[in-house]
Amino acid sequence: MRGVTPALVGPVWRTLPWRGLAAAGALGLLLAAAPDAVGAEPASWETLTLLRGVALIGALGLAFLLDDPARDLTAPVPTRRPLRQALRVAMVAPLAALWWTAVLLLAPSASRPPAGDITVEAAVLAVLALAGAATAVRLTDEARPGPSVAAALLLVAVLVPLLAPESWALFVPPEDPRWPAAHDRWAVLLAAAAVVWGVCGPEPMGRWGRRSRGIAGPA
Amino acid sequence: MSAVLTVTPPAVETGPRGGTRAVLALARFEARRLLLSIPVVIAFVAYAAWIVWRTRSSWDGYPALQDVDRATQSMPMLVGLAVLLSANLAALRSVRHGTENHLAVLVMTPWRRTAAHALSVVPAALLTAVCVAGQFAWEAFKPGAVGRGSPAELLVGPLTVLLFGTFGVLLARVIRSAPAAPLVLVLLLFTLVLGTAPGGASGLSWLAPVVAETSPDTLPSDLLGRPAAWHALYLAGAALCAAFLAVLVAGARNLAVRAGVVLTLALAVTGGVMQAGGAAPSPELTAARERASVRPDLTCVEHGRSTYCAFPEWEPRTGTWAGVVDRVQSLTGGSAHDRRLVVRQRIDARYGMEGDAAIPALTDAHQVTVGTSWGGNRVPEFSSAVAAVLVAGTEDAGGEICDGRMVTLMWLSLSWQDDPLNALRRVRVDDSVRGSAVVLSPTDPLSMTEGQTDVVRRLLENSPAGVGEQVKAHWDELTSPGVTTARAAELLGVAGPEKADSCEE
Repeated sequence: MRGVTPALVGPVWRTLPWRGLAAAGALGLLLAAAPDAVGAEPASWETLTLLRGVALIGALGLAFLLDDPARDLTAPVPTRRPLRQALRVAMVAPLAALWWTAVLLLAPSASRPPAGDITVEAAVLAVLALAGAATAVRLTDEARPGPSVAAALLLVAVLVPLLAPESWALFVPPEDPRWPAAHDRWAVLLAAAAVVWGVCGPEPMGRWGRRSRGIAGPA
Repeated sequence: MSAVLTVTPPAVETGPRGGTRAVLALARFEARRLLLSIPVVIAFVAYAAWIVWRTRSSWDGYPALQDVDRATQSMPMLVGLAVLLSANLAALRSVRHGTENHLAVLVMTPWRRTAAHALSVVPAALLTAVCVAGQFAWEAFKPGAVGRGSPAELLVGPLTVLLFGTFGVLLARVIRSAPAAPLVLVLLLFTLVLGTAPGGASGLSWLAPVVAETSPDTLPSDLLGRPAAWHALYLAGAALCAAFLAVLVAGARNLAVRAGVVLTLALAVTGGVMQAGGAAPSPELTAARERASVRPDLTCVEHGRSTYCAFPEWEPRTGTWAGVVDRVQSLTGGSAHDRRLVVRQRIDARYGMEGDAAIPALTDAHQVTVGTSWGGNRVPEFSSAVAAVLVAGTEDAGGEICDGRMVTLMWLSLSWQDDPLNALRRVRVDDSVRGSAVVLSPTDPLSMTEGQTDVVRRLLENSPAGVGEQVKAHWDELTSPGVTTARAAELLGVAGPEKADSCEE
């Protein structure tokens, strides 16, 4: 298996949804740079909302990362799906990190919330998008679950701030005394999303194996 | 799959009528799929739940319909965002699934399919219209409703959904990529829903689909000065223009579509320009607002002994005010018991809808001010103003009371209410029942000292028998200037304040 990975790098690189990622990245950078470009001096909650929105845009781009049009062909290959998915993420991760750093630098520095904490929130969104995509791949036969995952992510992003109990305090401004506790909860969410992603990574095999429309069944 | 088609199918005439029927059939199918798509279903369920949750207790049961129509506008935007996303994904379905080439062999041209997608948004807009109508009708049938709503304001919600939906179809034709719609949605969320858009009622801000100016006070409907009809025209023009543009981009080159694009664009531009002109108040409107603030044309009605002068739209509410006045007055003694009061409705409309100007107290004898809102805290506030005028003679003098008369005043104002202690809490600025505090009234606030608060609380908490008779019997002493709080407490049969107090402390 080790020997296969280097050989995979090239093809996987080519199949990544670069256009969507680039569009999301460019839009996020534009949005982050907008306040300084027009000379606005946003309040700290406005900058926080801005950064959360940019993180959402980035996560929407990542929701398309696990789309694999050739999924039916790659299912039976010996290289396992977690490895292929991890390779995709590993290729995008450095770029995403660079992009987020640029976003933080472009955002109005005077009213920027603590960088580490807001990064945790952004990471939760990103991992949530990947976990959603992996879950969709695992539970359905859809080759490109990206649009549905993006729609679901948007829905979550709109509904959770509206419906989440006030006591969870996930969406508090930085001045709020609950901000550190809230970010412990964000970290827990990050771990939970990562676990979901890990669980949904492998191709279903064996007794609980393929679903009705499977390829493995008798033709 | 491998069977070879040997018989040539008979050629079918597809005249313009056949094309229209096919478009309508596809539109019906797509509309059903759109309404049943998960984001739209969730959005409508949330919207309906919001309507029920909000309308049950909105405006404390006393809505003014010129405020109600604006309040129907903001939530359809969330529905519109869901419709945008679903319509976009539906229009891109053949691209995403790689069936574009299969569909290309059909007689139905791409622009007809696009037209069907644009039409499929209409039922969602109609459903929104039903929700808006339901919300408005619910408010309008509340017994305390006054004023009148504007049809143009009510149209904004459905038209917003239509605009977002056709924009989603247009987006699918311009950018044939699935990630585009979610990204645009985040931008729209930012600019429209979260309110980071530039505020203020300038001509530019009216380009947003929903301009829900919230006013702290309700104004009569002819003083609102909102270019609502032009805005509805602008929205309708923009929605139709997006639909025609989508059909044009999809390859339609016939005269009807080109004329449609030009015509709807003209509609949208006309609406946009005219609403920008109407965004700033006209000289006539400014003059009317000035007149309504300084010497308004009120309609006066007699209820019992007293006269109630209100703006014509509020005339049905004068009976409710009379109920409060009669209850307060029935508790009084001496000359106050039969005094003829004049209740005047007053507003300050000079600063438009955003303004929150305080109304000065009246100096004329036996006149009470009432505002345009009612229900909830407004009732004990008005009740306090009535009691102040009955005790001190004028509103102006009532605001300066700082002796034992305050005890009588607050007792008159609150003791007849269902939950007097809670009413005391609500009428005070800091929601307390201990310590000194400011008491709200429609005009200048009153002030209570700590000792007065203690005595009033004791009177309301477990009122000793016969307080009503004591008030009537000792009316002249209780309402004479300079009576101390301790003396008032003694006359009414409760423990006095711990220490002598005055307003200057």
